[in-house]
Amino acid sequence: MNFFRRTGVWQGSLAFAILLLGACATEPTGLRELTYGLTLAPTGIDPHINASVELGIPLTSVYDTLIFQDSDSGEFVPGLATDWSISPDGLVYTFTLREDVEFHDGTPFDAEAVKANIDYVMNPDHRSQKAAAMLGPLENVAVLGSHEVKFHLDRPYAPLLDSLSQVYLGMASPSALEEWGPVDYQFHQVGTGPFRFVEYLPNDRLVLERNPDYAWAPEIYRRETPGVDRITFRFFEDPATRALALEGGQVDVIGELPHHEADRMDEMSEFDVDPVLIPGQPLQLIFNTERSPTDDAGVREALVIGVDRSRIVNTVFGGNSPTAVGPLAANTFGFAEEAAFPEYDPAIAAGLLEAAGWILPEGENVRSNGDTELKLDLVVPPWGSNPEVGQLVASAWEQLGADVSLTVAPGFGPLNEARAEGEYSAIGMNSFGTDPDLLRPFYDSDGFFNWSGYRDLGLDGLLKAGAESVASPEQREQFYQEFAEQVRDAWLILPVRDYVNLVGSSQRVEGLHFSSQGWFPYLNDLELQP
Amino acid sequence: MSGGLLTALAAITLTFFALRLAAGDPVASLLSQGLTTPEQAETVRRSLGYHLPILQQYLFFLGNLVRGDLGVSLYSGQPVSAIIGSQLASTLQLALVSLAIALPLGILLGSASSWKSRPAAQRSATTLSGLATSLPVATTGVISLLIVSLLARGQVRGVQLWLPALVLGFAASGPFARAVHSGLESTLSSPFILAAKARGLNRTRRMYWHALRPALPAAIALIALEAAFLFAGAVVTETVFSRPGLGRTLVSSILQADFPVAQGIVALAAVLYVGSQVVADGLGWILDPRLREGR
Repeated sequence: MNFFRRTGVWQGSLAFAILLLGACATEPTGLRELTYGLTLAPTGIDPHINASVELGIPLTSVYDTLIFQDSDSGEFVPGLATDWSISPDGLVYTFTLREDVEFHDGTPFDAEAVKANIDYVMNPDHRSQKAAAMLGPLENVAVLGSHEVKFHLDRPYAPLLDSLSQVYLGMASPSALEEWGPVDYQFHQVGTGPFRFVEYLPNDRLVLERNPDYAWAPEIYRRETPGVDRITFRFFEDPATRALALEGGQVDVIGELPHHEADRMDEMSEFDVDPVLIPGQPLQLIFNTERSPTDDAGVREALVIGVDRSRIVNTVFGGNSPTAVGPLAANTFGFAEEAAFPEYDPAIAAGLLEAAGWILPEGENVRSNGDTELKLDLVVPPWGSNPEVGQLVASAWEQLGADVSLTVAPGFGPLNEARAEGEYSAIGMNSFGTDPDLLRPFYDSDGFFNWSGYRDLGLDGLLKAGAESVASPEQREQFYQEFAEQVRDAWLILPVRDYVNLVGSSQRVEGLHFSSQGWFPYLNDLELQP
Repeated sequence: MSGGLLTALAAITLTFFALRLAAGDPVASLLSQGLTTPEQAETVRRSLGYHLPILQQYLFFLGNLVRGDLGVSLYSGQPVSAIIGSQLASTLQLALVSLAIALPLGILLGSASSWKSRPAAQRSATTLSGLATSLPVATTGVISLLIVSLLARGQVRGVQLWLPALVLGFAASGPFARAVHSGLESTLSSPFILAAKARGLNRTRRMYWHALRPALPAAIALIALEAAFLFAGAVVTETVFSRPGLGRTLVSSILQADFPVAQGIVALAAVLYVGSQVVADGLGWILDPRLREGR
């Protein structure tokens, strides 16, 4: 210590350290930069090949799509296509393309580029996990002129426009696709959007920079050109660290805040919390209609009415989360308010069980029909608070006089295996998406996810009509409303909660708004307050 | 050496079968993400060899492993070796910096907890090393993040390396402290320390120059065992601090049933672990003359 005092080295190094810290803290670069927190580090971020929702958060602003969807009205508006028409039989879509668009690598955007993209997605060697399925019965794309293309379909497919408005079918530079190939392209993505893809280091960061040449913003964007210069995405998988990252200034925006953290941040003046509704199928329990006792519609009805869904949603998800009332979340096209499942009423539920022959013997807790006790097996997936919901539903069913065993499957594989064995009364599942055709695999008699085992030609017909009703959206909506009524009248599901993404942001961020899918922000419109 | 290889093989085999039991069919998991038709799923299953009997799959896997072919990720299509390569440096950096913190910290805590004449220091050192051993990294990680966020509102820095390294280093210092402490307890009561005291050497010199030396080899040899601890700790630390690395890649690959990636990382971990055991034995032999004379 004496040595340090004599020479002043100690004070000197302290001063140096302070200077260094100060230098780190300011960094006056003049760039308008922000950091965006993602909640999952996806494996594979090629939108044409991979399926993750998370990849769309940065990449929706790297690509433009042929058309965009207005998230308020649900209407489709011009994007890279200025105009389109659909043949009366619904089998041919003709798109007229913009002529003033260039990819980030200088390649001009034209009809050949559209064909190259769709061919790339449909190439079975590329093993597209989502985009190929979104094209449905598409046969091929034909180039009509330098800026005109035709999509030929095998049968009418109403979800096509919705598919073409999403990042999974965004337009990538054909030269970049060819140069890098399906494995490496994800690290070198090239689109026409408001932001250029700079670098992606898996698990670490993904960086975007504004595209200085962007001059073809769709009308749903609020700004003509990007409002920030550079956006760095970082990954915060542990929910407990997300609010901390926002409070600590590590990120300016972050999604999927736990609800108690969201409530806390909402009260602080430095932060905003935006509950963004996600369309699709709500968190729901699907009843097994092929096995006793849930093969009886009266029992299913009792199991729905005997559960206080709003209270469960409030307990598990807090006040920002709506209670689900049907097979579609409230902000999905085709949602039917009139077909809402009824509210909680334990007396009616008990009456229904009695009527179905399940009587509560004197001094017992479990109902019996004389032969067997009322036993229910509930199987739920491990994600998205399903286990907590499962627990509360199980205890509500126990109150009704059932003997409930709850199993939390450790992943999708085991969930699917439990389903295949058929030893369940109800099973938890949800899905995300804007087009109601997402119901088909779940409710069609031969659907891959027909976990209720319910087979009904009426439902099949409505789903088919909905999928093929290209000409009239109004008529299409009616098919799904009628469908929702039939699902309710057959008591196929116990709807629990519409998904909400709680997005926290710092006060200095403005202009945050999202695509119809709810997950994808329009980064072009972000602005930073000085 | 052959025992080491057997250990590695056992770990790799266990992982192979445990993953299939716990995570189920990887193709089912792909299906849940948007591959809608079962026909498409069947094509994928065949192209990956998942339609074969499990023993045959295992033999194929071992054969490829011996040839150094770890396969490709089911999701990104990248070779597993490339994925490991891109994440290895980050995990190594964290492990080495943590070790550089853990070793001196452990020696300090271990020797201070043998410091009979300073009861306050002794007590706090004992408490701290107890906490280091018993607090899970997930807890200390979140607590440290909380503290740093509160102290440095909006100005948080160093969260990518220094904070996780401190947290992991603190946890890893526990075993070092214990090894040093128990080594000191036995040497401090031995005659040569009494002799040193008689020669008038002061306490610090007695402690750090004479008593610590025979206690150190045990602590140094622990480094190799700590390699396994640090890797396990990295799994949690990398997730809590949102750091890239093998640990985090392992967790997400298991959650998504991306078998080739999970197997590749476990195979690497097993080989590293066995390798570090061999190094540990060697180090002990070099550092402690008593081991050599015992032969």
